[in-house]
Formats: sequence, structure tokens, C-alpha cells
Amino acid sequence: MSDSLVKVEGIGKRYKIGRRKSAEMRETFSNFLTLLKLRTTNNKFYEDRESEFWALKDISFQINEGEAVGIIGRNGAGKSTLLKLLSRITKPTTGRFEIHGRVGSLLEVGTGFHPELTGRENIYLNGTILGMRRAEIKSKFDEIITFSGVEEFIDTPVKHYSSGMKVRLAFSVAAHLEPEILIIDEVLAVGDAEFQKKCLGKMEDVTGQGRTVLFVSHNMRAVSQLCDRAILINEGKAVYSDKSDAVIEKYHEFLSNNNQGNKYIENYPLNKSVILNSFSLKENELRTNEVVEFNLNIESNSINHITDLSLLIFDDNYVRVGIVDLRSNDLFERSKISQNVSIKGAINNLPLIEGTYKIGIFIYSNLCHGNFNDLLEIKILPRNSDFLKYSKSARGIVDLNFSSIVC
Amino acid sequence: MPLFILRYQMNGLSKIVVDSKRNSLRIGFKDLKNYSDLFYILAYKDLRVRYAQTFLGIIWAILQPLATLMIFILIFGMIVKVDTQDIPYPLFAISGISMWTYFSFVFSQSGNSVIGAQEMIKKIYFPRLVIPLSKAIVGFVDFGLALLMLVVLFLVYGFAPSTNLIFAPLFILLNIVTALSFGIWLSALTIRYRDFHHIIPFLIQFGMYATPVAYPGRLVPDKYQFLYNLNPMAGLIEGFRWSLFGGNPPGIYLFMSIIVILLLFISGLIYFKRVEEIMADII
Repeated sequence: MSDSLVKVEGIGKRYKIGRRKSAEMRETFSNFLTLLKLRTTNNKFYEDRESEFWALKDISFQINEGEAVGIIGRNGAGKSTLLKLLSRITKPTTGRFEIHGRVGSLLEVGTGFHPELTGRENIYLNGTILGMRRAEIKSKFDEIITFSGVEEFIDTPVKHYSSGMKVRLAFSVAAHLEPEILIIDEVLAVGDAEFQKKCLGKMEDVTGQGRTVLFVSHNMRAVSQLCDRAILINEGKAVYSDKSDAVIEKYHEFLSNNNQGNKYIENYPLNKSVILNSFSLKENELRTNEVVEFNLNIESNSINHITDLSLLIFDDNYVRVGIVDLRSNDLFERSKISQNVSIKGAINNLPLIEGTYKIGIFIYSNLCHGNFNDLLEIKILPRNSDFLKYSKSARGIVDLNFSSIVC
Repeated sequence: MPLFILRYQMNGLSKIVVDSKRNSLRIGFKDLKNYSDLFYILAYKDLRVRYAQTFLGIIWAILQPLATLMIFILIFGMIVKVDTQDIPYPLFAISGISMWTYFSFVFSQSGNSVIGAQEMIKKIYFPRLVIPLSKAIVGFVDFGLALLMLVVLFLVYGFAPSTNLIFAPLFILLNIVTALSFGIWLSALTIRYRDFHHIIPFLIQFGMYATPVAYPGRLVPDKYQFLYNLNPMAGLIEGFRWSLFGGNPPGIYLFMSIIVILLLFISGLIYFKRVEEIMADII
């Protein structure tokens, strides 16, 4: 096709793992000795330790001008490696690709920010690193500052900025890059809600202007909104490519096929010192507004002082629909300062419309903190009803009751 | 693994081709040119950051060569009494110190520069060569101040520079290329083998005694002259002195230095290019 802006032909990337750098030098030295015929055989010792791993294998696709393409897949599927290859951070082991036009990548916002420099200086520094010319930055300078919302502090060293301000400034620089092809990896996860909205708006502008975009995200809603087409990657291979909604559906199907323990999980390590002994639901198929009983047991190798613990509930687009704050639970109060925390409880009613939801946990303690999003799955079946319901997409997320009052 | 990058204009758009099968010895000058602004901005960043939050600021850049000069005057000028013919020793010494200061600064800064920029390298594409090359600009500040000291000493001693002075820029240019050659080599080697990180200060310390900074090169016995002049900085500093003070014009050894410098520079660029392809993976 003559108008394809990106043409990827069978690219693959191999990494060598489990190899130490000092061994590499010894190996080079030993090869050198072999070369000089000072030794007859090469030392096999180093080769045995080396193992290979294909992060990507035989990926081919084309992107036409003005298309926005989403790349989806589980963590470690190879999405980020693909973007690294296309943005030329590293080179492919096999295959070739062609890109017509300037590539701008938003792999990580704020790369190259220097804390001692002022906001103004960092705009220039960051912009040129991203591939902009100084004159180009100058012409967009006011726009960049206005978008970032840090006008007042533009001549203050960035080390005095809050992390939110830094992210806003960095994103603002990146968003004003005007490449023919824009590569984006998960940057929408940053900043406060207000700023995320601004960013999504900017993204819509960019795709609306007919810019070609390659977008990697876990946010299925954003992929579905912004991308015409998507590619599903699993274990380094492109397994499915179609209209984005079809691919997202395939991805969910794929996730549930690969997820046997959706009613309970056992021995799930949260980090090296804390383990989720068991986390289970009594039932994982129920109807709207029914009681959800659960069991949670966390064990650690030393005293785990838990200050926060919540269940997180996500819909199938990974939008958080609610949390269950377990700090109020009596059991939790008694066992929180120990090596074993056990909670048995129930969500009294779950007013969600039919669909599949994921349950994760959020924990904050001296040993471990973070969101663990994808632990259990719960299926809500349609509520029996005597009247014809609207379609699922029309009804939002929460199922609300109504009773009329006669005046 | 080989990598082939080619950019040319097509329908007003630049085209990038990356092919795993094709090898290229291209240095990518076109790409470097596209990123020329980055080159200056990285240098500006270094200059701004270097003396940020210091009380004396830029005075540090004068104190360092001044201290070296004092020590040299004391040891080589007064105690050892090195014969510098009719050139006053302080003037003789500062001419060597100014060149050596630039060399050692750019060499050590660019040698460590790529490791220092690893966060950037892992996250974004730009021609990596910009990083060590930008250090050549940073070194101009210190070099300029050392040259200023040289001019002041010329005035203090009422010493008239030689008419060879028109050749001085040539030696300064060669000094830039030499410092970058060493810097590019070491920055690429350090990425692969961190051992080289420890070699840089050693090389600089050792190098200063193996180079006619504090003493004239003719003090070295004739039978060692060839070996001595394999160090390209020897020919350069002698040549720089000739351009300032006159005397015997540089001979065959200067040409040897120039050949060594060019070989180091070209091989450095090629080696850097090869390491650049795997830089993000091994850093």
C-alpha cells in the first residue's frame, strides 16, 4: 500500500537473560585468546549460563495515515518492547520496518528533566530531547505553559515543583510535539482527574486532526474511544487484529480463558515478604443486589502493620466502580498487627448491572503497599424483571431502584 | 546485530528504515544535524548545573588551573629548575596546563557521559553520540579561563608571542578532536565493561606525567622519543607552545600525532556506533 505510514515486516526481539556483565568481559577476553590460537577450545562455561528469551516474535502490520491503532495485551506480552523498537530505542533482532515521517514517543513523560533547571529551561531541554527544534519550542512556548498550568512557577527550579506539577509540565511538552506518528504508552495514567481529562481531550484533538497514533494502554475505554483499530499481543506474538471493539472483546475472552482461579486464589505473593494465603468468594455468579460473601487471609514473614486494606471492584474496562473499605471491620482491628490477617465478610448488596467485574485489593502496610487489581472475577447475572429492559450500554454501571410516590 | 538506518526525504516526509539484516558503518551525520539543538542545550544544562548552589560559582573554574600552576611553579620552576630556555616558567607551564585541562575535562566528562544519561537512553531515541560530543562545548568555559590566564601572564612578563600564533587555532582544534576521540572510545567501552569507568582518572593522572605539560618534551632521551610521541597530546602541546613562543618548528612527530588522532577518532566513531545499537539493552 502506498499510503501506509508504518510498515512492519516480521520484527522480533531476542533478549539474553541471566547473564552477568563481568562474565561478558571474561568471555570477550577468552574469545580473544581463542582467536589468537592461544587456547584450543572456547570455554563452554559461559555459554551454559546464557539463556534466550524472545520478547517479540514475527510481528507484522501496517498503519495507514491518520489511523489510530491500539496495542493491547497482558503485562509482559511484549507491548512495550514493540514500542521500544518502533521508537528506535533499541533495534530488532529480526525483520525490518519502515516509518514515513517523524516519530514522537511518549513512552515516559519527563525524561531528561533536570531538577536544578527552571521550568522554562526544562521545557527546552525536554522538547529537544523529544526531537523538537528550539525555534519550534519557542513558537509553542506560551501554549505549552498555558496547557501545563504552572505559569507562576515557570522560572522556579523544577526541584521545588510538586510531583503533579512536574508531570503536568512534562506532559504538556510532549503533547505539543507534532510528529506525523505519535507513540504513546500509558501516559494517561498520570496526574489528577482534571488533568487526565485534559490529556484525553488533547489525544482526541490529535487523532481528530488525522494524526497517526499508536497507543498502548490497559485502559480499554480509552482504547475503544481513541482507536479505530487494535492489535492484541500475547507472548510476543500478534494474535488478533481488527476493529478495536472486536479486539477488546477478544482480549476479555482471552483473559477469562486464561484465568481459572477467578472464584478463589491461593498462595499469591504480593511481594517477597507478604503473601495472599487465600482470597475467595463464596459465590461468584449472582444477581444484582445480592450479598457477596468473601474470605481474605494475608500472611507475612514478620509483623505486618496494616494501615489500609480495601477491596477494589473494576468493570471489564478496568474502570473502578467501587471499593470496600475494610478498615471498619472488627476482625481486621483485632488482627491487623500480626503475621496473619484473616477477614471474613460480606458486601451487603452489590447494585451493579449485569456483566463481569474484577475484584482486587489495595493494601498499605510497613511491608507492602499497592493495588493488586486482577485477583478475582465476579459475574453478575441480569435481574429478573417484569418489564423489558434497556440495553446494557444504555444503563450505565449502577442498577437503581425506583418506586413511585402517589401524590 | 547489524542495524541499518536511512533517512531521506519522500513526499516531504523523512523516511526511517530499520532493518535487522543490513549492516551499516554510517555514523548518521544527518541525524546528528537534526538534533543539533539538543547538542547545545545539553551543554547549557551541564554549565548551569555544574556550579548550581555553589558559593564561589565560576571561580572554581579558575582555582583549579591556578592551583596546578602554583604547584608546578614551586616544584618544576623553583625546586627542579626545569630548563625552558628563555620562556618564563609560569608562562611555559600555563600554556601546557590550559591544553591539558581542556583535554582531561572533556575526556573524563564525555567518557562518563553515556552511563550518566542511561535513564534517557532507556526511554527515548536520539543519536547517542550527542551526549559525549556536547561535552566538548562544556569544556570551553574552563579552557577560555585558562587561556585568559595565559594572556595575563604574557602581559605580566611583557613577552611578545611568536608570529606562529596563527597556527594556534589548529592545535586547539586538534585538542578538541583528541579529547573527543578518547571520550567517545571510553564512553562506549564503559557501557559494555564498567571497569573502564575506573580507568579514566588513572589515565588522566598518568597521562599528565607522560605529556610535556610541566616540562619540555626535549628532556626525554632521543631513544624514547618515538614511544613518547605515540601519545598524541605530546605533539599537540609541543606544537601549541611552538605557535605561542616560536623555536624549532614541529617535525615528523606532529604528523604522527595527527595520524594517531585521526585513527582514534574514526575508530571511536565506528565502535560507538556498534555499541549504540545495543546500548539500551545492555546499559
